[in-house]
Amino acid sequence: MGIKIRQADIHDIQAIQNANLHNLPENYLLKYYMYHELSWPQASFVATTYDESSLDEEINEDLKFEDPKGDTAYIRKGEKIVGYVLAKMEDDPEAEDKTPHGHITSLSVMRTYRRMGLADRLMKQALYALCESFDAKYVSLHVRKSNRAALHLYKDTLKFEVSSIEKSYYQDGEDAYAMRKDLVLEELQPHLIDGDQEVDDFEKDLLEDL
Amino acid sequence: MIRKPILTSKEDQNFQEALKLYDQKQYKKSLKLVDQNLKKHSHAESLTLKGCINYQLGNKSECESYILKGIEKDKDNYMVNHLAGIYYRSIENYTESAKWLKAAVDNGSPNKQILRDLSILQSQIRDFKNLTTSRQQYLDFQPGYRANWTGAAIAFHLNKNYNSAYSTLTKIETIIKDHLQESDMYEQSECCLYKNDILFDAGNISKALEDLEKDQSYIKDKLAYLSYKAKYLMILGNSKEASVIYRKLIQRNPDDIDNYKNLEICLGTSDWEVEKRAKLYEKLARFYPKADVPKFLPLVFIPSTNKLFKSKVSEYILSQLKRGVPATFVNIKPVLKNAKKLKIVEEIVEEFYGSIGQYDPTVKLWTMYFISQLNYFKAKSDSKFLEESMKWIDLAIEHSPTLVELYLFKSRILKTQGKVVEASEFIDQGRQMDLQDRFVNSKTVKYYLRANNIDKAMELISLFTKLDKDAINGCKDLHTMQVNWFLTESAEAYSRLYHQYQEELNSLPEDTDEEIVNDLKEKVDINKGLAIKRFLAVVKIFGIFVNDQFDFHSYCLRRGTPRHYVQTIKWEDEVHSTPIFVRVIKGLSKICFEIYDEQKVKKEEEPIKIKKNNKKQKKAKAQFLKQKEDLIKKVESEKDDSDPLGTKVLNDLVNNSNGDIIDNLLNLTSTLINEAKDYKITWELSFKLNLIKCKYILCLQALKNLKDKIDEDELKQLIQTLSDQVSADETTNNAIKMVVEKGLASAFPDL
Ligand SMILES: CC(C)(COP(=O)(O)OP(=O)(O)OC[C@H]1O[C@@H](n2cnc3c(N)ncnc32)[C@H](O)[C@@H]1OP(=O)(O)O)[C@@H](O)C(=O)NCCC(=O)NCCS
Repeated sequence: MGIKIRQADIHDIQAIQNANLHNLPENYLLKYYMYHELSWPQASFVATTYDESSLDEEINEDLKFEDPKGDTAYIRKGEKIVGYVLAKMEDDPEAEDKTPHGHITSLSVMRTYRRMGLADRLMKQALYALCESFDAKYVSLHVRKSNRAALHLYKDTLKFEVSSIEKSYYQDGEDAYAMRKDLVLEELQPHLIDGDQEVDDFEKDLLEDL
Repeated sequence: MIRKPILTSKEDQNFQEALKLYDQKQYKKSLKLVDQNLKKHSHAESLTLKGCINYQLGNKSECESYILKGIEKDKDNYMVNHLAGIYYRSIENYTESAKWLKAAVDNGSPNKQILRDLSILQSQIRDFKNLTTSRQQYLDFQPGYRANWTGAAIAFHLNKNYNSAYSTLTKIETIIKDHLQESDMYEQSECCLYKNDILFDAGNISKALEDLEKDQSYIKDKLAYLSYKAKYLMILGNSKEASVIYRKLIQRNPDDIDNYKNLEICLGTSDWEVEKRAKLYEKLARFYPKADVPKFLPLVFIPSTNKLFKSKVSEYILSQLKRGVPATFVNIKPVLKNAKKLKIVEEIVEEFYGSIGQYDPTVKLWTMYFISQLNYFKAKSDSKFLEESMKWIDLAIEHSPTLVELYLFKSRILKTQGKVVEASEFIDQGRQMDLQDRFVNSKTVKYYLRANNIDKAMELISLFTKLDKDAINGCKDLHTMQVNWFLTESAEAYSRLYHQYQEELNSLPEDTDEEIVNDLKEKVDINKGLAIKRFLAVVKIFGIFVNDQFDFHSYCLRRGTPRHYVQTIKWEDEVHSTPIFVRVIKGLSKICFEIYDEQKVKKEEEPIKIKKNNKKQKKAKAQFLKQKEDLIKKVESEKDDSDPLGTKVLNDLVNNSNGDIIDNLLNLTSTLINEAKDYKITWELSFKLNLIKCKYILCLQALKNLKDKIDEDELKQLIQTLSDQVSADETTNNAIKMVVEKGLASAFPDL
């Protein structure tokens, strides 16, 4: 599909901010994205397009030089951010629960790229990283009561549970579900979550029986 | 905060008291004492302190003068130095602030905290050389904190003094080893990896690998551990072991194509025969059945002429279409750059559509959508396919009239056909079917802007913005929240509008009513002013982005994220190469060049006589003012905006009030020249501006940078333009002319 999932880095934050502004009403200043990147650099992930036509030997594009598109979604030529998950560890000194735990600050996918599993993949990577790099014991998030797509993703696909309802949590007065999921590293391995397919045996030569 | 010097006199006593009050934020009382001092003598410290107090009291026009007087009186007094440093930091003149804080240290201030503040400023202004000294001095003063060691190491690293950086990190590691708490372990992990980065930058790969293994138990970021290790092994030529690590990385994240590419480099399979290479990906697909890459990548490398391509691509597309995946076309699109592959895909889908009756109706729907998108893609090289694309999307909409996706796409076709107004109205219908989704709202807003309907765009985007107190729409919030896409698009809409009005104005018959003429002129000015204002709003936001790093110069040392801090510094150094910023400078410079051209014409024209106002005009004027007030409410970009319509900005540019317009533009362009060297537009602008300024050597430099970015013919023309102007120029001295001519000849021997 020409889309890759990878850890977010500082070069991505303007385009993440852009995706957030396009998709959600809860927005943040760039400095808050910097704060995420410089406090929990392992925790956030992006989905980006990529251009691999160089691998196709039949294409010999006339190599006319062109500047990158002046579009806020692009971080460099051919690479635009179409989805992201912004995650952090709970760092509020006032927070009641002192168990180290993660929090999903924001998640969204551009509409033209929805329903192809990107949010699912982004979330799985983020949960794994929160657990592995920061010892998060669980992760929490908020979601609008009326957000069907997100609820399906969290509840059914990712197995979060509703921990409480927060009345008028959002600016416009809508209630939020507070949701959480316990994190156990072995269960989170991205390639195992999907079931019991063949597993690559690293002891064996990959090219052996081709 | 500020330590006392040795007391000598009554004045000094007074001053000490004032300083204490200043630290306690009792500025008025402090001022009283200072003024007492100054009545009798011009006491250097008191003068400087008065500058700082005035700043805190909001008396901004009487600050710097006092600071300067204090400095003039006693420039080697560390108290004066320190206060001057504090003052310049508050007005964000970091260079000057660093200079005076450094002077305070050099002149023997016993206050070691200055070193901390100084090092933050030195980081901000990238004075890495002096940063090393202040970080080292601060470390000597307080070696009990790991952050100070990390800070010193970063300073060495930024100076490419890898040995000192490495040994600083190693030293603190040894000291701290047996005292690490659970809560220190993240920092420990990051510092180990940072040490590794330094070895890598120093080119010592085998030592880096050795350390990486030694520190493995500390490293919590396993993704980094594996990536580093694989990279090192590859560089060291151990590709067999590296390949196993890439397999582990694929297992962690089967959706990152880079891991597969690296794996193939290690395995040397890239030049295998296609069938065998495809087998490798079949195997990987069995391990990762949900991942896209193992299915997708073969579609790129298998040539269209190979039978395998058709069967694989057919499987890829049809399995998705049969499941009714809306994004099927988006998924295959990257492959279709290859025209032969496009043809095959087209045939497959056509054939599939022939048998569509046997499937669920949604399959038919998404297939029609697919065919429409495919034709739209083809229209890039031949616009006749747009109609075909339209035909299919209409069929799809007829089939399912309530699907937002279809509305999004049809309006895109309309937009490409140049029917911008229709496109905006049509997408708005789609928006109304899903009022909750901000994405459709954003796209609708964008389309209205493209149709120059700024009011409607503002009205709709305001459904999702915060409403500031007393605001009638989200305009201010859009500025606060740094919505660069919207600001840029609206700047461009205002630009188009003023050109439109300008044309109307130019085509008016001679005897047109003056009222109509004035009305149009006003419209031109307002839209021009707002265009400039919105463009500059983005420029200002980038200024904020640069300032945003300030707090992180110290935060990251404490937080223990030196690796990502160093990356951030480098990112900030090129932040103005972000595509949207370049687009803004492009738009802005277009307007500036137009103004410049008008200036040239005006100079030659007679000054225009102003006619007297009659009554009718006055009445019209009143009405106009009311309209203007309403407009201002809609377009204000901040509370109490002093120039809501950009009138002042525009006039300043037109009248060269803040210096020559070309100099202003050169100033803006300099960020591109420093940070966006890879852009064509950077050097085109530089050439044009410097030609106007007769800075021929800089023109030559621009041409050299354009060499591999523009056509030969274009380049030839520019070279000709330059050499013509140089030889015709009688004011430039011959030595420079020679340099340019020789430079041209040696840089472009064949042209
Ligand atoms: C919520 C959102 C991130 C989902 O992204 P996505 O990439 O389309 O999601 P995925 O394709 O990974 O789908 C994950 C699951 O949710 C389901 N799903 C996705 N969109 C759905 C919808 N509109 N209705 C019902 N289910 C939906 C998918 O079918 C899939 O379920 P499965 O695992 O049972 O097959 C995306 O819709 C979005 O960006 N929305 C706007 C922003 C937003 O609401 N963010 C969440 C804030 S808390």
